[in-house]
Amino acid sequence: MSNEISTELVCPDISQWLCHLLREVDGVTHNNRFERRQRLDVESAALPALLTLLQGKGSFVHLSAISCVDWVKENEFELVYHVWSYEMKVMVSAHIRIPREPGRYLSVYDIYKPAGFFERDIFEMYGIYFEGSPWMEKFILTEWDGPPPMRKEFDSEAWVDEHFDWQDYHPDWLKDLEAQGGGIAIRPEEQRFSRKAKDEC
Amino acid sequence: MSTLKDIPVRYEAEETPARSNPLANVFDEFMNFCRSRSLFMLHYCTGCGAIELPPAMTSRFDMERLGIQPMVTPRQADILLVTGYVSVKTLKRVILTYEQMASPKYVVGICSCTVNGGMYWQSYATAKKLNDYLPVDVYIAGCMPRPEAVIEGLRKLQANIAAGTSDNWKDYYQRYDHYLANQQRLFGETWQTPTDVIGEAKRYGVTGPETEGEHTRLLGQHKQPLEPLRMTLNAGKLERME
Repeated sequence: MSNEISTELVCPDISQWLCHLLREVDGVTHNNRFERRQRLDVESAALPALLTLLQGKGSFVHLSAISCVDWVKENEFELVYHVWSYEMKVMVSAHIRIPREPGRYLSVYDIYKPAGFFERDIFEMYGIYFEGSPWMEKFILTEWDGPPPMRKEFDSEAWVDEHFDWQDYHPDWLKDLEAQGGGIAIRPEEQRFSRKAKDEC
Repeated sequence: MSTLKDIPVRYEAEETPARSNPLANVFDEFMNFCRSRSLFMLHYCTGCGAIELPPAMTSRFDMERLGIQPMVTPRQADILLVTGYVSVKTLKRVILTYEQMASPKYVVGICSCTVNGGMYWQSYATAKKLNDYLPVDVYIAGCMPRPEAVIEGLRKLQANIAAGTSDNWKDYYQRYDHYLANQQRLFGETWQTPTDVIGEAKRYGVTGPETEGEHTRLLGQHKQPLEPLRMTLNAGKLERME
């Protein structure tokens, strides 16, 4: 039975095993939320050492994502490195905080090659520069020249107001349908008007 | 054939003979009837609405019984089906595609996103009103519209074509300055397409008072001449095949 064999291989207490492993790196706080979902809060200087340890000794060979959170009130970016171990079947997420200004951090491309892809994405969406990352350039928004759009200070609605017109609520092409009882029903407090419609009001 | 001037193209408009046939209007109606029942649609699958088209096209709802078939190239298609949100990058490609299509051509906007932005109403990346940039003939609202609604909308388009009232493609020529103004507002002043829309409008006699204006003048300043593509055969590959 394959199930019995795999349970023998997996450490009975993953949290304990991880705690033991993490003694080799300073500046790591271990947070055991769920058995297969371990959270590590890391000082930003300790992250490369931690990832090297996890990838080598810890069998966490798969960097599945790097996510970024903009904590604008605390003036910090949070970077979350999700790594997965096929042997242990555990997801470890390492959280670091970096100051929003100047928004620079080290690339982990030399440890995990897929990191180049994620870092390029974060560079484009948040403007965080990863030193040593191979492709610090535009990725998807190749025809975008505004600020990084996922930063909290970027007001998407104001940008839309400036660059687009809202659909009119009673356009000419809807008159036939309105005569038949159809049309667009939107509460007055949620209605938005474009430049042209504002003048008409 | 290194420059465009070497390629023989006739620019002067042909003299259209006066309509003397008493049955001309009957023929026109017959042509409209036939046109409304042999539509080839290019479905430009921009968003989630494209999912509703395979059932509408295939055996369950069978769009082909109405005479509507999918077509793979814009130059042979009659309908441009924009199925869902159009991001700003995609919108450029949609406009390029639309301008390549042969007249008469019809634009159908499917899903709420093409009407007013839909659930992406405050997104910086998607266009809000498709009819600012292209002349839309029929909007099919819904998120997403069921295949019945798609067919209902296309039947409405067919009825309009048969009645001869669906001529928004002329509107694009007649009010090109208006459409170009919206395109330039979004894409910047240097926006241009390889199609000479004003030239086409003059050639087919569908110019209007707003065909040319301040924005087309701006286009004229930035317009770069087209260069013919170099055609080469990969001789090295052929030799190796022998």
